[in-house]
Amino acid sequence: MSASAAQLKLAAAPEHDAEPSLNDLLVKVGRGDETAFAAIYDHLGSSVFGLARRVIRDPARAEEVAQEVFIQVWQSAARFDPAKGNAKSWLLTLAHRRAVDAVRHDQAATNRENKYDWSSGPDFDEVEETVTITLEHEQVKRCLDGLTELQREAVNLAYYQGYTYAEVATALNANTATIKTRMRDGIVRLRDCMGVVA
Amino acid sequence: MSTDLHSLMAPYALDALDQDERSRFEAHLDQCADCRAEMAGFMATAVRLGDTVRHAPPPALRERLLAEIGDIPQERPIVTALAERRGLRRTLPRLAMAAAFLVGAVGVGGYLVEHQNAEEANDRSVAMSTVLGADDVTTASKSFDAGGSVKLYSAPSADAAVIIAKRLPSPGKGKVYQVWMVDTEAKPTSQGTFVSDGEMIMKGVAEADHIAVTVEPEGGSDQPTAAPIAIIAV
Repeated sequence: MSASAAQLKLAAAPEHDAEPSLNDLLVKVGRGDETAFAAIYDHLGSSVFGLARRVIRDPARAEEVAQEVFIQVWQSAARFDPAKGNAKSWLLTLAHRRAVDAVRHDQAATNRENKYDWSSGPDFDEVEETVTITLEHEQVKRCLDGLTELQREAVNLAYYQGYTYAEVATALNANTATIKTRMRDGIVRLRDCMGVVA
Repeated sequence: MSTDLHSLMAPYALDALDQDERSRFEAHLDQCADCRAEMAGFMATAVRLGDTVRHAPPPALRERLLAEIGDIPQERPIVTALAERRGLRRTLPRLAMAAAFLVGAVGVGGYLVEHQNAEEANDRSVAMSTVLGADDVTTASKSFDAGGSVKLYSAPSADAAVIIAKRLPSPGKGKVYQVWMVDTEAKPTSQGTFVSDGEMIMKGVAEADHIAVTVEPEGGSDQPTAAPIAIIAV
Protein backbone atom coordinates (compact mmCIF):
# COMPACT_ATOMS: atom_id res chain seq x y z
CA MET A 1 0.00 0.00 0.00
CA SER A 2 1.16 3.51 -0.57
CA ALA A 3 2.60 5.55 2.21
CA SER A 4 -0.32 7.90 2.16
CA ALA A 5 -2.75 5.13 2.78
CA ALA A 6 -0.63 3.76 5.56
CA GLN A 7 -0.42 7.14 7.24
CA LEU A 8 -4.08 7.77 6.77
CA LYS A 9 -5.03 4.51 8.30
CA LEU A 10 -2.87 5.15 11.28
CA ALA A 11 -4.71 8.40 11.80
CA ALA A 12 -7.97 6.55 11.42
CA ALA A 13 -7.42 4.05 14.17
CA PRO A 14 -10.21 4.00 16.70
CA GLU A 15 -9.47 4.56 20.34
CA HIS A 16 -11.82 1.98 21.74
CA ASP A 17 -9.49 -0.96 21.28
CA ALA A 18 -6.24 0.80 21.97
CA GLU A 19 -3.78 -1.77 23.22
CA PRO A 20 -0.62 -0.01 24.32
CA SER A 21 1.28 -3.25 24.75
CA LEU A 22 0.57 -4.24 21.16
CA ASN A 23 1.69 -0.82 20.02
CA ASP A 24 4.95 -1.26 21.91
CA LEU A 25 5.41 -4.68 20.39
CA LEU A 26 4.85 -3.40 16.87
CA VAL A 27 7.39 -0.65 17.40
CA LYS A 28 9.86 -3.34 18.46
CA VAL A 29 9.04 -5.35 15.35
CA GLY A 30 10.05 -2.27 13.36
CA ARG A 31 13.48 -2.56 14.95
CA GLY A 32 13.87 -6.19 13.96
CA ASP A 33 12.68 -7.85 17.16
CA GLU A 34 11.56 -11.35 16.14
CA THR A 35 10.20 -12.20 19.57
CA ALA A 36 7.95 -9.14 19.39
CA PHE A 37 6.85 -10.27 15.95
CA ALA A 38 5.85 -13.65 17.33
CA ALA A 39 3.88 -11.93 20.10
CA ILE A 40 2.09 -9.71 17.58
CA TYR A 41 1.24 -12.78 15.57
CA ASP A 42 -0.09 -14.59 18.63
CA HIS A 43 -2.32 -11.64 19.52
CA LEU A 44 -3.57 -10.68 16.08
CA GLY A 45 -3.12 -13.75 13.88
CA SER A 46 -6.70 -14.90 14.41
CA SER A 47 -8.10 -11.42 13.67
CA VAL A 48 -6.11 -11.17 10.44
CA PHE A 49 -6.92 -14.72 9.36
CA GLY A 50 -10.56 -14.27 10.36
CA LEU A 51 -10.90 -11.18 8.20
CA ALA A 52 -9.06 -12.82 5.30
CA ARG A 53 -11.43 -15.79 5.45
CA ARG A 54 -14.47 -13.59 5.58
CA VAL A 55 -13.43 -11.82 2.41
CA ILE A 56 -11.74 -14.65 0.53
CA ARG A 57 -13.72 -17.70 1.72
CA ASP A 58 -11.17 -20.22 0.46
CA PRO A 59 -9.19 -21.20 3.59
CA ALA A 60 -5.97 -22.03 1.75
CA ARG A 61 -5.98 -18.74 -0.14
CA ALA A 62 -6.83 -16.87 3.05
CA GLU A 63 -3.83 -18.47 4.71
CA GLU A 64 -1.59 -17.27 1.89
CA VAL A 65 -2.93 -13.77 2.25
CA ALA A 66 -2.50 -13.82 6.03
CA GLN A 67 1.10 -14.84 5.44
CA GLU A 68 1.60 -11.93 3.03
CA VAL A 69 0.07 -9.56 5.54
CA PHE A 70 2.44 -10.62 8.31
CA ILE A 71 5.44 -10.43 6.02
CA GLN A 72 4.37 -6.92 5.11
CA VAL A 73 4.04 -6.18 8.83
CA TRP A 74 7.60 -7.34 9.35
CA GLN A 75 8.89 -5.26 6.45
CA SER A 76 6.95 -2.09 7.17
CA ALA A 77 6.56 -1.98 10.95
CA ALA A 78 9.08 0.89 11.11
CA ARG A 79 6.39 3.02 9.49
CA PHE A 80 3.96 2.40 12.32
CA ASP A 81 3.60 5.44 14.54
CA PRO A 82 1.89 4.64 17.85
CA ALA A 83 1.12 8.34 18.30
CA LYS A 84 -1.23 8.14 15.35
CA GLY A 85 -3.04 4.90 15.82
CA ASN A 86 -3.11 1.45 17.27
CA ALA A 87 -1.47 -1.73 16.12
CA LYS A 88 -4.60 -3.74 15.61
CA SER A 89 -6.22 -1.18 13.31
CA TRP A 90 -3.00 -0.88 11.36
CA LEU A 91 -2.87 -4.64 10.80
CA LEU A 92 -6.55 -5.04 10.00
CA THR A 93 -6.41 -2.24 7.45
CA LEU A 94 -3.43 -3.88 5.76
CA ALA A 95 -5.19 -7.24 5.90
CA HIS A 96 -8.40 -5.98 4.35
CA ARG A 97 -6.62 -4.27 1.50
CA ARG A 98 -4.60 -7.42 0.80
CA ALA A 99 -7.63 -9.67 0.99
CA VAL A 100 -9.62 -7.52 -1.41
CA ASP A 101 -6.71 -7.36 -3.84
CA ALA A 102 -6.41 -11.15 -3.71
CA VAL A 103 -10.10 -11.68 -4.38
CA ARG A 104 -9.93 -9.37 -7.37
CA HIS A 105 -6.81 -11.01 -8.67
CA ASP A 106 -8.40 -14.44 -8.45
CA GLN A 107 -11.55 -13.15 -10.04
CA ALA A 108 -9.86 -13.30 -13.42
CA ALA A 109 -9.92 -17.09 -13.21
CA THR A 110 -13.39 -17.60 -11.84
CA ASN A 111 -16.86 -16.36 -12.35
CA ARG A 112 -17.67 -14.66 -9.12
CA GLU A 113 -21.26 -13.99 -10.10
CA ASN A 114 -22.10 -17.62 -9.58
CA LYS A 115 -20.22 -18.12 -6.35
CA TYR A 116 -22.16 -15.88 -4.03
CA ASP A 117 -25.13 -16.58 -1.94
CA TRP A 118 -26.93 -13.26 -2.06
CA SER A 119 -29.12 -14.00 0.91
CA SER A 120 -26.38 -14.69 3.38
CA GLY A 121 -24.38 -11.50 3.72
CA PRO A 122 -21.55 -11.84 6.18
CA ASP A 123 -21.17 -15.14 7.94
CA PHE A 124 -22.25 -14.05 11.36
CA ASP A 125 -23.51 -17.47 12.26
CA GLU A 126 -20.43 -19.40 11.31
CA VAL A 127 -19.56 -21.82 14.08
CA GLU A 128 -16.35 -23.74 14.41
CA GLU A 129 -14.30 -24.37 17.45
CA THR A 130 -11.54 -22.17 16.09
CA VAL A 131 -13.86 -19.22 15.50
CA THR A 132 -14.38 -16.53 18.09
CA ILE A 133 -17.11 -13.96 17.77
CA THR A 134 -15.77 -10.70 19.12
CA LEU A 135 -17.45 -8.35 21.54
CA GLU A 136 -17.93 -5.87 18.70
CA HIS A 137 -19.81 -8.42 16.65
CA GLU A 138 -23.25 -7.78 18.11
CA GLN A 139 -22.94 -4.05 17.75
CA VAL A 140 -21.74 -4.29 14.16
CA LYS A 141 -24.59 -6.63 13.30
CA ARG A 142 -27.13 -4.32 14.94
CA CYS A 143 -25.74 -1.30 13.12
CA LEU A 144 -25.72 -3.12 9.76
CA ASP A 145 -29.33 -4.09 10.40
CA GLY A 146 -30.11 -0.42 10.85
CA LEU A 147 -29.13 0.42 7.26
CA THR A 148 -31.49 0.49 4.33
CA GLU A 149 -31.33 -2.61 2.19
CA LEU A 150 -29.41 -0.92 -0.60
CA GLN A 151 -26.95 0.66 1.83
CA ARG A 152 -26.37 -2.68 3.52
CA GLU A 153 -25.95 -4.58 0.26
CA ALA A 154 -23.52 -1.98 -1.02
CA VAL A 155 -21.41 -2.11 2.14
CA ASN A 156 -21.53 -5.91 2.32
CA LEU A 157 -20.54 -6.50 -1.28
CA ALA A 158 -17.72 -3.99 -1.10
CA TYR A 159 -16.27 -4.67 2.32
CA TYR A 160 -16.95 -8.35 2.82
CA GLN A 161 -16.73 -9.54 -0.79
CA GLY A 162 -14.21 -7.21 -2.35
CA TYR A 163 -16.43 -5.69 -5.04
CA THR A 164 -15.48 -2.33 -6.51
CA TYR A 165 -18.29 0.20 -6.37
CA ALA A 166 -18.69 -0.23 -10.14
CA GLU A 167 -19.14 -3.98 -9.67
CA VAL A 168 -21.60 -3.33 -6.87
CA ALA A 169 -23.57 -1.09 -9.22
CA THR A 170 -23.71 -3.82 -11.84
CA ALA A 171 -24.65 -6.48 -9.31
CA LEU A 172 -27.42 -4.38 -7.81
CA ASN A 173 -28.56 -3.00 -11.12
CA ALA A 174 -28.07 0.59 -10.03
CA ASN A 175 -25.95 3.38 -11.46
CA THR A 176 -22.55 4.11 -9.97
CA ALA A 177 -23.51 7.54 -8.65
CA THR A 178 -26.33 5.97 -6.65
CA ILE A 179 -24.03 3.29 -5.24
CA LYS A 180 -21.38 5.80 -4.20
CA THR A 181 -24.07 7.80 -2.42
CA ARG A 182 -25.48 4.71 -0.71
CA MET A 183 -22.01 3.70 0.45
CA ARG A 184 -21.47 7.12 1.87
CA ASP A 185 -24.85 7.23 3.60
CA GLY A 186 -24.24 3.72 4.86
CA ILE A 187 -20.81 4.37 6.30
CA VAL A 188 -21.93 7.62 7.93
CA ARG A 189 -24.83 5.80 9.55
CA LEU A 190 -22.56 2.97 10.70
CA ARG A 191 -20.03 5.41 12.07
CA ASP A 192 -22.67 7.20 14.10
CA CYS A 193 -24.32 3.97 15.21
CA MET A 194 -21.00 2.56 16.43
CA GLY A 195 -20.09 5.81 18.10
CA VAL A 196 -16.82 6.06 16.19
CA VAL A 197 -15.01 9.23 17.12
CA ALA A 198 -12.18 10.09 14.76
CA MET B 1 -12.32 19.48 -3.64
CA SER B 2 -13.97 18.30 -6.77
CA THR B 3 -17.40 16.73 -6.42
CA ASP B 4 -16.24 13.73 -8.33
CA LEU B 5 -13.35 12.91 -6.00
CA HIS B 6 -15.39 13.62 -2.90
CA SER B 7 -17.83 10.92 -3.92
CA LEU B 8 -14.99 8.38 -3.67
CA MET B 9 -14.47 8.85 0.09
CA ALA B 10 -16.74 6.01 1.19
CA PRO B 11 -15.70 3.60 -1.59
CA TYR B 12 -12.08 4.26 -0.64
CA ALA B 13 -12.69 3.50 3.03
CA LEU B 14 -14.39 0.23 2.07
CA ASP B 15 -11.55 -0.66 -0.34
CA ALA B 16 -14.06 -0.48 -3.20
CA LEU B 17 -11.88 1.43 -5.67
CA ASP B 18 -9.86 -0.21 -8.39
CA GLN B 19 -6.09 0.33 -8.32
CA ASP B 20 -6.13 3.29 -10.65
CA GLU B 21 -8.85 5.21 -8.84
CA ARG B 22 -7.26 4.31 -5.52
CA SER B 23 -3.98 5.94 -6.56
CA ARG B 24 -5.67 9.02 -7.94
CA PHE B 25 -7.81 9.37 -4.85
CA GLU B 26 -4.79 9.01 -2.55
CA ALA B 27 -3.04 11.76 -4.47
CA HIS B 28 -6.09 13.91 -3.84
CA LEU B 29 -6.16 12.99 -0.13
CA ASP B 30 -2.57 14.11 0.23
CA GLN B 31 -3.65 17.60 -0.66
CA CYS B 32 -6.99 17.77 1.13
CA ALA B 33 -6.90 18.15 4.91
CA ASP B 34 -10.70 18.25 5.19
CA CYS B 35 -10.92 14.95 3.35
CA ARG B 36 -8.37 13.36 5.66
CA ALA B 37 -10.29 14.48 8.70
CA GLU B 38 -13.51 12.91 7.48
CA MET B 39 -11.70 9.86 6.15
CA ALA B 40 -10.32 9.09 9.61
CA GLY B 41 -13.85 8.37 10.84
CA PHE B 42 -14.69 6.34 7.75
CA MET B 43 -11.56 4.24 8.08
CA ALA B 44 -12.17 3.64 11.77
CA THR B 45 -15.66 2.47 10.92
CA ALA B 46 -14.31 0.07 8.30
CA VAL B 47 -11.89 -1.41 10.85
CA ARG B 48 -14.82 -2.16 13.14
CA LEU B 49 -16.53 -4.03 10.32
CA GLY B 50 -13.38 -6.09 9.94
CA ASP B 51 -13.00 -7.01 13.57
CA THR B 52 -16.02 -9.17 14.24
CA VAL B 53 -14.82 -12.72 13.72
CA ARG B 54 -11.53 -14.26 14.73
CA HIS B 55 -10.37 -17.47 13.24
CA ALA B 56 -7.31 -19.32 14.50
CA PRO B 57 -4.88 -19.78 11.63
CA PRO B 58 -3.28 -23.17 10.99
CA PRO B 59 -0.27 -23.68 13.31
CA ALA B 60 1.98 -24.21 10.31
CA LEU B 61 1.57 -20.56 9.32
CA ARG B 62 3.22 -19.39 12.51
CA GLU B 63 6.15 -21.73 12.02
CA ARG B 64 6.59 -20.66 8.40
CA LEU B 65 6.54 -16.98 9.23
CA LEU B 66 8.99 -17.25 12.10
CA ALA B 67 11.33 -19.27 9.92
CA GLU B 68 11.10 -16.78 7.07
CA ILE B 69 11.33 -13.33 8.58
CA GLY B 70 14.94 -13.68 9.60
CA ASP B 71 15.86 -13.54 5.93
CA ILE B 72 13.51 -10.73 4.96
CA PRO B 73 14.95 -7.21 4.99
CA GLN B 74 12.99 -4.50 6.78
CA GLU B 75 12.39 -0.88 5.99
CA ARG B 76 14.62 0.96 8.39
CA PRO B 77 15.34 4.44 9.57
CA ILE B 78 17.88 6.29 7.48
CA VAL B 79 20.87 5.25 9.59
CA THR B 80 21.28 2.15 7.46
CA ALA B 81 21.92 4.38 4.46
CA LEU B 82 25.02 5.83 6.10
CA ALA B 83 27.32 3.38 4.41
CA GLU B 84 25.88 4.40 1.12
CA ARG B 85 26.39 8.07 1.93
CA ARG B 86 30.00 7.48 2.81
CA GLY B 87 30.64 6.14 -0.65
CA LEU B 88 29.24 9.29 -2.18
CA ARG B 89 30.93 11.78 0.08
CA ARG B 90 33.92 12.39 -2.10
CA THR B 91 31.66 13.38 -4.96
CA LEU B 92 30.00 16.33 -3.29
CA PRO B 93 32.58 19.03 -2.59
CA ARG B 94 33.35 19.72 -6.21
CA LEU B 95 29.72 19.93 -7.10
CA ALA B 96 28.13 23.32 -7.11
CA MET B 97 25.00 24.80 -8.33
CA ALA B 98 23.18 26.82 -10.97
CA ALA B 99 20.26 29.12 -10.37
CA ALA B 100 17.05 27.23 -10.25
CA PHE B 101 13.45 28.01 -9.82
CA LEU B 102 12.13 26.80 -6.50
CA VAL B 103 8.71 25.37 -6.87
CA GLY B 104 8.34 23.45 -3.64
CA ALA B 105 7.71 19.93 -2.64
CA VAL B 106 4.70 17.88 -1.82
CA GLY B 107 5.13 15.05 0.61
CA VAL B 108 2.75 12.51 1.93
CA GLY B 109 4.18 12.04 5.39
CA GLY B 110 5.76 15.47 5.21
CA TYR B 111 4.33 18.55 3.69
CA LEU B 112 4.92 21.64 1.66
CA VAL B 113 8.05 23.49 2.50
CA GLU B 114 6.79 26.46 0.55
CA HIS B 115 3.22 27.55 0.82
CA GLN B 116 1.52 27.44 -2.52
CA ASN B 117 -1.73 28.98 -3.58
CA ALA B 118 -4.05 27.06 -5.84
CA GLU B 119 -2.83 28.80 -8.96
CA GLU B 120 0.77 27.88 -8.30
CA ALA B 121 -0.25 24.32 -7.57
CA ASN B 122 -2.09 24.17 -10.83
CA ASP B 123 0.84 25.61 -12.77
CA ARG B 124 3.05 23.05 -11.13
CA SER B 125 0.75 20.21 -12.01
CA VAL B 126 0.60 21.35 -15.64
CA ALA B 127 4.38 21.69 -15.75
CA MET B 128 4.82 18.20 -14.30
CA SER B 129 2.54 16.73 -16.90
CA THR B 130 4.55 18.51 -19.59
CA VAL B 131 7.78 16.95 -18.36
CA LEU B 132 6.34 13.48 -17.84
CA GLY B 133 4.68 13.57 -21.25
CA ALA B 134 7.61 15.07 -23.19
CA ASP B 135 8.92 13.15 -26.19
CA ASP B 136 12.51 13.44 -25.02
CA VAL B 137 11.95 12.52 -21.37
CA THR B 138 14.67 10.34 -19.87
CA THR B 139 14.60 8.47 -16.59
CA ALA B 140 17.20 7.77 -13.95
CA SER B 141 16.49 6.20 -10.63
CA LYS B 142 18.08 5.12 -7.42
CA SER B 143 16.77 2.48 -5.04
CA PHE B 144 17.89 2.05 -1.47
CA ASP B 145 18.61 -1.19 0.31
CA ALA B 146 16.56 0.05 3.22
CA GLY B 147 13.55 0.47 0.93
CA GLY B 148 12.25 3.29 -1.20
CA SER B 149 13.49 4.92 -4.36
CA VAL B 150 14.11 8.26 -5.99
CA LYS B 151 13.30 8.64 -9.67
CA LEU B 152 14.23 11.55 -11.91
CA TYR B 153 12.48 12.39 -15.17
CA SER B 154 14.35 14.97 -17.27
CA ALA B 155 12.95 16.66 -20.34
CA PRO B 156 15.54 18.88 -22.09
CA SER B 157 12.84 20.26 -24.39
CA ALA B 158 11.06 21.67 -21.34
CA ASP B 159 14.31 22.61 -19.57
CA ALA B 160 12.78 20.92 -16.56
CA ALA B 161 12.84 17.73 -14.56
CA VAL B 162 10.51 16.00 -12.13
CA ILE B 163 11.78 14.09 -9.14
CA ILE B 164 9.56 11.54 -7.44
CA ALA B 165 10.51 9.95 -4.15
CA LYS B 166 8.63 6.88 -3.03
CA ARG B 167 8.51 5.21 0.34
CA LEU B 168 11.85 6.38 1.61
CA PRO B 169 12.51 5.35 5.20
CA SER B 170 11.91 8.07 7.76
CA PRO B 171 14.80 10.55 7.72
CA GLY B 172 14.61 10.60 11.52
CA LYS B 173 12.86 12.80 14.05
CA GLY B 174 13.14 16.48 13.17
CA LYS B 175 14.81 15.68 9.85
CA VAL B 176 13.72 15.99 6.24
CA TYR B 177 15.06 15.03 2.86
CA GLN B 178 16.18 18.03 0.85
CA VAL B 179 16.65 18.06 -2.90
CA TRP B 180 19.41 20.11 -4.52
CA MET B 181 20.21 21.03 -8.07
CA VAL B 182 23.93 21.00 -8.57
CA ASP B 183 26.28 22.17 -11.33
CA THR B 184 30.00 22.74 -11.44
CA GLU B 185 29.84 26.54 -11.56
CA ALA B 186 27.81 27.64 -8.56
CA LYS B 187 26.47 26.59 -5.18
CA PRO B 188 23.79 23.91 -4.86
CA THR B 189 20.27 25.30 -4.98
CA SER B 190 17.56 23.89 -2.79
CA GLN B 191 14.59 22.51 -4.65
CA GLY B 192 12.52 21.74 -1.58
CA THR B 193 12.13 19.15 1.12
CA PHE B 194 10.00 16.11 1.76
CA VAL B 195 9.56 13.23 4.15
CA SER B 196 9.23 9.69 2.82
CA ASP B 197 7.27 10.52 -0.32
CA GLY B 198 7.39 13.58 -2.50
CA GLU B 199 7.35 14.90 -5.97
CA MET B 200 8.65 18.18 -7.26
CA ILE B 201 9.46 19.91 -10.49
CA MET B 202 12.74 21.66 -11.17
CA LYS B 203 13.28 24.21 -13.88
CA GLY B 204 16.52 25.34 -15.49
CA VAL B 205 17.97 21.85 -15.51
CA ALA B 206 19.93 22.52 -18.71
CA GLU B 207 22.59 24.12 -16.52
CA ALA B 208 22.54 21.34 -13.97
CA ASP B 209 24.90 18.49 -13.63
CA HIS B 210 23.29 16.47 -10.88
CA ILE B 211 20.36 16.32 -8.56
CA ALA B 212 21.40 15.46 -5.02
CA VAL B 213 19.33 14.45 -2.00
CA THR B 214 20.57 15.07 1.55
CA VAL B 215 19.14 14.64 5.03
CA GLU B 216 18.72 18.02 6.71
CA PRO B 217 17.09 19.47 9.83
CA GLU B 218 13.38 20.17 9.55
CA GLY B 219 12.73 23.27 7.48
CA GLY B 220 15.71 22.58 5.27
CA SER B 221 19.18 24.11 5.11
CA ASP B 222 20.60 26.94 2.98
CA GLN B 223 23.36 24.66 1.78
CA PRO B 224 23.83 20.91 2.19
CA THR B 225 25.14 20.05 5.66
CA ALA B 226 25.61 16.35 4.97
CA ALA B 227 26.87 14.20 2.17
CA PRO B 228 24.10 13.18 -0.21
CA ILE B 229 22.28 9.90 0.14
CA ALA B 230 21.59 10.01 -3.58
CA ILE B 231 23.13 11.70 -6.59
CA ILE B 232 21.38 11.39 -9.90
CA ALA B 233 22.91 12.73 -13.10
CA VAL B 234 20.62 15.00 -15.08
